[in-house]
Amino acid sequence: MELSTYQLPAQLSTYAAEVDWLYYVIFWISVAFFVGIVGVMGYFVVRYRSKPGVRAKKTGHSNTLEVAWTVLPLILLIVLFHWGFQSYVRGSVAPSSSLDIRVRGAQWLWEFRHPNGMEELNEVTLPVGTPIRFIMSSGDVLHSFFVPDFRVKQDVVPGRYSTLWFEATKTGKVQAYCTEYCGAPEGATGNVGHSAMLATLNIVDEETYEKFLEKGPAAPEGLSEAEWGKELVEKSGCRTCHGVDGASQMPAPNFKGLYMREEKMTSGKTIVADENYIRESILQPQAKIVSGYENLLMPPYKFGEAQLDAIIAYIKELSQE
Amino acid sequence: MSTHAESIGLADGTAADGAVHEENYLSAKGIASWLTTVDHKRIGIMYLIAVLLSFFAGGVFALLIRTELLFPGQTIMTADQYNQAFTLHGAIMVFLFIIPSIPAALGNFFLPIMIGAKDVAFPRLNLASLYIWCIGAVFSLVAIISGSVDTGWTFYTPYSSRASGAVLWMAMGIFILGFSSILTGVNFVTTVHKMRAKGLHWSRLPLFVWGMYATAVIQVLATPVLAITLLLLLVEKTTGLGIFDPALGGDPVLFQHFFWFYSHPAVYIMILPGMAIVSEIIAAFSRRKPFGYTYIALSSVAIALLGFLVWGHHMFTAGMSEYAVMVFSGLTMLVAIPSGVKVFNWIATLYKGSITLTTPMLYALSFIALFSIGGLTGIFLGTLSVDIFLHDTYFVVAHFHYVMVGGTVIAFIGGLHYWWSKMTGKVYSERYAKVAWALIFVGFNVTFLSQFVLGSRGMARRYFDYLDHFHTLHGFSSIGSYILGLGFVVLFFVLLHSLVKGEKAGPNPWNLAGYEWLTTSPPDAHNFATEFVAERGPYDYHLLDENIDEAAAKA
Ligand code: HEC
Ligand SMILES: [Cu+2]
Repeated sequence: MELSTYQLPAQLSTYAAEVDWLYYVIFWISVAFFVGIVGVMGYFVVRYRSKPGVRAKKTGHSNTLEVAWTVLPLILLIVLFHWGFQSYVRGSVAPSSSLDIRVRGAQWLWEFRHPNGMEELNEVTLPVGTPIRFIMSSGDVLHSFFVPDFRVKQDVVPGRYSTLWFEATKTGKVQAYCTEYCGAPEGATGNVGHSAMLATLNIVDEETYEKFLEKGPAAPEGLSEAEWGKELVEKSGCRTCHGVDGASQMPAPNFKGLYMREEKMTSGKTIVADENYIRESILQPQAKIVSGYENLLMPPYKFGEAQLDAIIAYIKELSQE
Repeated sequence: MSTHAESIGLADGTAADGAVHEENYLSAKGIASWLTTVDHKRIGIMYLIAVLLSFFAGGVFALLIRTELLFPGQTIMTADQYNQAFTLHGAIMVFLFIIPSIPAALGNFFLPIMIGAKDVAFPRLNLASLYIWCIGAVFSLVAIISGSVDTGWTFYTPYSSRASGAVLWMAMGIFILGFSSILTGVNFVTTVHKMRAKGLHWSRLPLFVWGMYATAVIQVLATPVLAITLLLLLVEKTTGLGIFDPALGGDPVLFQHFFWFYSHPAVYIMILPGMAIVSEIIAAFSRRKPFGYTYIALSSVAIALLGFLVWGHHMFTAGMSEYAVMVFSGLTMLVAIPSGVKVFNWIATLYKGSITLTTPMLYALSFIALFSIGGLTGIFLGTLSVDIFLHDTYFVVAHFHYVMVGGTVIAFIGGLHYWWSKMTGKVYSERYAKVAWALIFVGFNVTFLSQFVLGSRGMARRYFDYLDHFHTLHGFSSIGSYILGLGFVVLFFVLLHSLVKGEKAGPNPWNLAGYEWLTTSPPDAHNFATEFVAERGPYDYHLLDENIDEAAAKA
């Protein structure tokens, strides 16, 4: 059931429909109240416009009216409160059969870890039709994980775990956002920081998910290996430290010309940056450190085989230009 | 006969000898006479200028924000600058403008007059409050100029505990501003209790005074919590003691509790004065005592008290226990009741009234419509599962702008028009004032109605950039903000023109029953030329009308 209306986005989780239903109930109640209030007000203003010779009538009072417009809305509100709470509880307690995914938010990326240790960055592959529970934490400040199409949201708080669950009803890509303000790097241009802290949920069928867990993600259709590598480098935040244009103003070595470059390490040895070295530099950056760059630690990354190949292909391509 | 007419304020006793007695509160000249004054009216005027300047600054930031969002991608500033722009917009508008706007400017001016007092209970404290406000504003200005306050007006930890030193200045500024707010509150509570004129018992108190009174109670009780919160933040930042920052062993959610324990009641510090003004204007231009006077008065008090119990509704997604969430949701729903009671009573006041659509009345009626939207959308946000979806989206942004701007600011401007001639002794141009009203009303709705839809479609707030499918609505919203801005510019010129070229105003141009209309415009330095005794209620239009008839019959 995919029902996206003018006001609400697509319903792509089992939970979305009940939130929408309640949303529209409140919406129509509000419309009724609003039209009533403004309608009566407008009518009175026209009907009782001051006319020469006609005086305002002395104000009376009516306890019946006062009680009526206190109690009737109160009943309505109690019903809405109860309904909202019931559905909130359903939305916050994950079924025990859920697939647990570890999520870590940090300025300004989302890391996902599957039960078998496979990690993904700013993108996560998940099976359709399975309840999924995110167990979330933050490495720095507050963040919040929000998936409008699923109608779910949960703050990610440093120093504690928070959870969020949903069950997707359709395969395809679903957009997730950070909705707790978390800053932006000073001086950087373009879309950076909080508003760039997006993630894509790749909802796939059960079988594709199993395959994914074994081999890591495969190149998206229509992208060459190097193009995919470029996309991974952009998305994974490598560019916050590494340049790709040969200019060396960045805090980490430039990727342009890196392939087969001779480099001096802090250990004193000189190495040639071949495929194996680059691979190691990504998976275990602290194994060998380029001299002159001791002051900034690069975090270790986990990538699937195909992804590593793609990144290396991209770095090679940069060196050939 | 003549004593009766005088006592109900028709005979223009004070106005008649207005010619004899040209002296008024504006007569003393020179900067020193202003800076050292303890006259509540002069302090009110200085506050008015100060809050209007703040409003202008906050407005400029608002337009910068909307211009950045006019197109997707980077438009006129970087993400970091954008974050500073919305932080300053929020902080200036909330702490420097809205909170002091009605109480400190219009309240200071009219509360003593409307209870027939010569001044507030502690005139020196009143002046001190203004100076403290200025010191707070200077601190904030330093923070703005040093240019790196980017925490959002909510200062959420641990982001704010790690942010730059300018945040310290801003926090100090707000800490200091809080004291000016507390002093105003203490003053008003005492004044209303102790300084009411003879004959002015509580059941005759103008509703504006009731609203100010309820506001003052919150100011006194809630603002210290803000001070404590900011102080703890400063201690953490300067000493590294872990209070809110988990890296130091603190709890970031504790900060949110502290912050909203003040800032939710603060919402009522902002809206109650607005409601108070609207109650006055509706009664005045329907020429009727407000329907359900007691209910309107007591609902202010109810809102003030309930307002203390609902802070948790800002934190439904923050990871509180399900039970806490349930309690806060339930209490939040209750707040809707006294607000609804006010709206229904205002409308009942119009019934069989004699309504004139003056500019202030247009603002008051707009308030009812816009505040209703603000209130009704609040029900979406009080309903738990719907709030989880809408929290921290533009829906929330639109909701609180409908309450704060559609409510408080509209009421403030309405009040400004309503009492303009009384304060300045000059008449403004009704015609152009209505043009400004129309621009503001249309501009406001275009700006913020589109934001409701943006939010319900999933647009997160505090975003420097957005995905392409949000472009149309963002475009609408930005264009609306320009119309709104234009409206304020027109308004500014209308008021300026009235000051420079406006005709002299009579003491009671609309023939109203409120006590403030019994004195000259502008009022005497001591408010009333002779001691004020309340011999009738402030809404006794039937007496006033009878008297007009009598006078006509005689002639
Ligand atoms: C926090 C900054 C930072 C980020 C983010 C980062 N790196 Fe690095 N990287 C460094 C630093 C500093 C060095 C040099 C020191 C060393 O060899 O560890 C380095 C070294 C490297 C090298 C070896 C370069 C050479 O000249 O030998 C490669 C390859 C590399 N990074 C790839 C990546 C990729 C791919 C990513 C993204 C998935 C990435 N880095 C993200 C900081 C970073
Ligand atoms: Cu974030």
